[in-house]
Amino acid sequence: MLLAVLIANSEGNILVERFNGVPAEERLHWRTFLVKLGADNLKGVKNEELLVANHKSVYIVYTVLGDVSIFVVGKDEYDELALSEAIFVITTALKDVCGKAPTERLFLDKYGKICLCLDEIVWKGLLENTDKDRIKRLVRLKPPTEF
Amino acid sequence: MCNLVNFYKSGALQDVLHLHDVLARVALAKLCHTISRARALDERPDVKSQFSSVLYQLLLDPSERVCFEAILCVLGKFDNSERTEERAAGWYRLSREILKLPDAPSVKDSNSDGKDAVPPKASKEKNSKTRRPQPLIKLVMRRLESSFRSYSRPVLHAAARVVQEMGKSRAAAFALGLQDIDEGAYVNKFSENNESYEPDINPTAPSEGIRRVPSMSNGMGSKDTIASLLASLMEVVRTTVACECVYVRAMVIKALIWMQSPHESFDELGSIIGSELLDPSWPATLLNDILLTLHARFKATPDMAVTLLEIARIFATKVPGKIDADVLQLLWKTCLVGAGPDGKHTALEAVTMVLDLPPPQPDSTLGLTSIDRVSASDPKSALALQRLVQAAVWFLGENANYAASEYAWESATPPGTALMMLDADKMVAAASSRNPTLAGALTRLQRCAFSGSWEIRIIAAQALTTMAIRSGEPYRLQIYEFLHTLAQGGVQSQFSDMHTSNGEDQGASGTGLGSLITPMLKVLDAMYSGQDELIKEMRNHDNAKKEWTDEELKKLYETHERLLDLVSLFCYVPRAKYLPLGPTSAKLIDIYRTRHNISASTGLSDPAVATGISDLIYESTKTGISDLIYENTQTKSAEQDALDDDLVNFWAANLGDAPAMNRVNEFLAGAGTDAPDVEEDNIISRPSTSYDDMWAKTLLETTEMEENDARSDGSSSPDSVGSVETSISSHFGGMNYPSLFSSKPSAYGSSQSTERPGGSRYRAYEGPGSPIREEPPPYSSPPPYSSPLHQRYESFENPLAGPGSDSFDEGRTSSGNPKAGTALYDFTAGGDDELNLTAGEELEIEEEVDGWFFVRKKRPGRDGKTAGLVPVLYVTQS
Repeated sequence: MLLAVLIANSEGNILVERFNGVPAEERLHWRTFLVKLGADNLKGVKNEELLVANHKSVYIVYTVLGDVSIFVVGKDEYDELALSEAIFVITTALKDVCGKAPTERLFLDKYGKICLCLDEIVWKGLLENTDKDRIKRLVRLKPPTEF
Repeated sequence: MCNLVNFYKSGALQDVLHLHDVLARVALAKLCHTISRARALDERPDVKSQFSSVLYQLLLDPSERVCFEAILCVLGKFDNSERTEERAAGWYRLSREILKLPDAPSVKDSNSDGKDAVPPKASKEKNSKTRRPQPLIKLVMRRLESSFRSYSRPVLHAAARVVQEMGKSRAAAFALGLQDIDEGAYVNKFSENNESYEPDINPTAPSEGIRRVPSMSNGMGSKDTIASLLASLMEVVRTTVACECVYVRAMVIKALIWMQSPHESFDELGSIIGSELLDPSWPATLLNDILLTLHARFKATPDMAVTLLEIARIFATKVPGKIDADVLQLLWKTCLVGAGPDGKHTALEAVTMVLDLPPPQPDSTLGLTSIDRVSASDPKSALALQRLVQAAVWFLGENANYAASEYAWESATPPGTALMMLDADKMVAAASSRNPTLAGALTRLQRCAFSGSWEIRIIAAQALTTMAIRSGEPYRLQIYEFLHTLAQGGVQSQFSDMHTSNGEDQGASGTGLGSLITPMLKVLDAMYSGQDELIKEMRNHDNAKKEWTDEELKKLYETHERLLDLVSLFCYVPRAKYLPLGPTSAKLIDIYRTRHNISASTGLSDPAVATGISDLIYESTKTGISDLIYENTQTKSAEQDALDDDLVNFWAANLGDAPAMNRVNEFLAGAGTDAPDVEEDNIISRPSTSYDDMWAKTLLETTEMEENDARSDGSSSPDSVGSVETSISSHFGGMNYPSLFSSKPSAYGSSQSTERPGGSRYRAYEGPGSPIREEPPPYSSPPPYSSPLHQRYESFENPLAGPGSDSFDEGRTSSGNPKAGTALYDFTAGGDDELNLTAGEELEIEEEVDGWFFVRKKRPGRDGKTAGLVPVLYVTQS
């Protein structure tokens, strides 16, 4: 299960979050945990360099892209490596939507589209679409492939 | 299905599959693993081997995710359920199996002969040179080594995790006695002349046990052994410790702990961990995770107890502030039990090492006394260290006798009176020569009893009493003398320089322990005077050549029982065996018992035996220390034998500090997706109020309880003792530490009550039998849904009987007809419409609503409310 996708700005304010199968009372803990993790470790990290953490049997992979930091949390089959793949898809989509590594402003400008992309990539705790073009078509409500 | 498999098998797997989705291939790996282990396919080994072959081919997958999943599947790590046999078979598979690449026949080809499900052996000749079959272990090692060279942290983390799982499987294999997996043997190397190799004889089903594949290695000329492959892998793993990320490092350390085998020296691991812990960036949760890994490692290989304790000691010395003292203590305890007779001393030494810890400040060398001063500068770690020291002191007191195998009731050499005549110095020398473990523990405790902070002193005094009661002479006398001086405060002038910085009122008795020690001394006094009395009596009888009369025996027996009761106030002793009047009394008491048909084995239903001490007896009989005693107690031996082999494990698994135990169990079960706790301040758990509380209660209750018990002497019903005991362990012993002797009736009763007759009675201690408990017993806590519901149904039926019967069965009240009632227990209001109750309060019951009474108090309570709802079960109607 891909438990959470969370995007925060450099100050640790959360811009987007998607929780799947995390009880409401635990979300706050996860938020604080992830933000703290980012604050502790993300200084001076290159764009898209992947960092890893775990808590009990839950894995966390996170990275920084422009002004935003991206966290994905998963367990079971979504281990570090699967999460790296997921975060790769997300960063690709972000860059695609924003045209470059997003500044916070750019991110907020494209907020709606980013949310749409995110929902195409991770849906109900599963990594659904990984192909850039396919995601692009889906966001525009077109059939994923041309027949 | 075979069709499908053959289809997969043709050519490079990922090309043929058209499964570009990594997770799909992961799922395929899992599927293949499941099918190849399926019981239902036991009679089709060909099918199974096909699927395992696909699984093995997935090891070559370009994606690490898939490859690692395949490795985990091969290792038998499929889900979170850890089955040792499965894991052992996994290690066997990994170290023995060989990947034979299929020879890429055309797809058509394989489809045509697919139905036959013949392993593609027929067309082997052509490609066998280019695509040599490979032993799995080599493939895996090579892959892991290259992964460890990756720059990506997730890959490093995952690789370390795979190595950890490998270690688990290896440990399982060793635990199951597969030591004949000779790691020095050459890895099976497949060369051209090995075509006769039959894949069908691979061990497939775990149910068949593990069949050995005939070794292919003889004279194959390969230089690689499993050991050498492992060694080179571990070299790479160790270098990974240099990674910046603590999480990766933590995983690497866990992997190293798992790959550590009991026979290797752990110096390297120790130094790695030691230097790692100096890094302040380690979060406490990770360190505790590693500590829990030690636990898991111990469970897998009990032989490693000593090594693991050494590692745990590194943790305690380097980062006392960051680790959970409960978990650490649990580890000590499990290791102590698991260490076996030889390791016990070392195990205890590892614990006592904590007592010698320097305070957190490196420049301060004053020892334990300076803790209070250090706390000003670094309160958190000082507090944690102090807690750790307390835990260690307490642990020492509880378990020293076990570790030293020295019990008053089964000492092999009854003390000669000559020994008692010696002066103190000689006595100490004699004692330490007889049992260095116990003597060492004793010395440390004595030091703690006057030089620690006041919390530590209290616990040390209690620990000493425990030891005094449990040990034979000369230790008892030694402790008695020490406690006596301590109580009198005579040592104050002598040692006053040692607690100059203590900062608190020393109290009238110098050490401040007078009021605590007095009751303990009273018990020891009573025991010694009882012994004197007995010796005098015996001399009298001998001189006069008189038989003992029944009256005299009765008196003796009553003294014996009274002393037993007293002793049980302070610690657990096996009532059937413990002889407070000394070994000489055994014969006389036996005579009385046989005459009056008093079963000596009543002690077996005694909580002490039920919870822990029986393990010790059991242990020591195993080691043959108490054989002598054993022959004397043949009547009991049958019952003793009934204690099954698992008891020690059972105890290790079920007793102890509940939260710590939960954490360990949770960890072992691989659970834990709940949110992390970020609040750093939580480390200061268990505020000192509990000690204040304990202190106050000790002052108030010890004498009182003792008198209580003295009054009810003679009535040696285990119930009364048990209940007082409960109160002691909750107030007096105080600290919920796991112990060999601690009583945790709930855990025991719930899980093993059927196995022993004492069990059911034992559970009763939880109930109202204990006078001390103030909360309502668990089964009468307010269940607003269960029983009241039932009652409500009853009252619904009743109105049908007639409109006039307004008051329902047994006067279940209705409005307008208030009844008098009394509060049975304290109740705290959970909402605005509920009412606080104090036990014993008189009430008027207005009406009943859904299992709740609407009551009115005669006087307003502390909160000023007079009326409200309370649960029905909290009130009796008078």
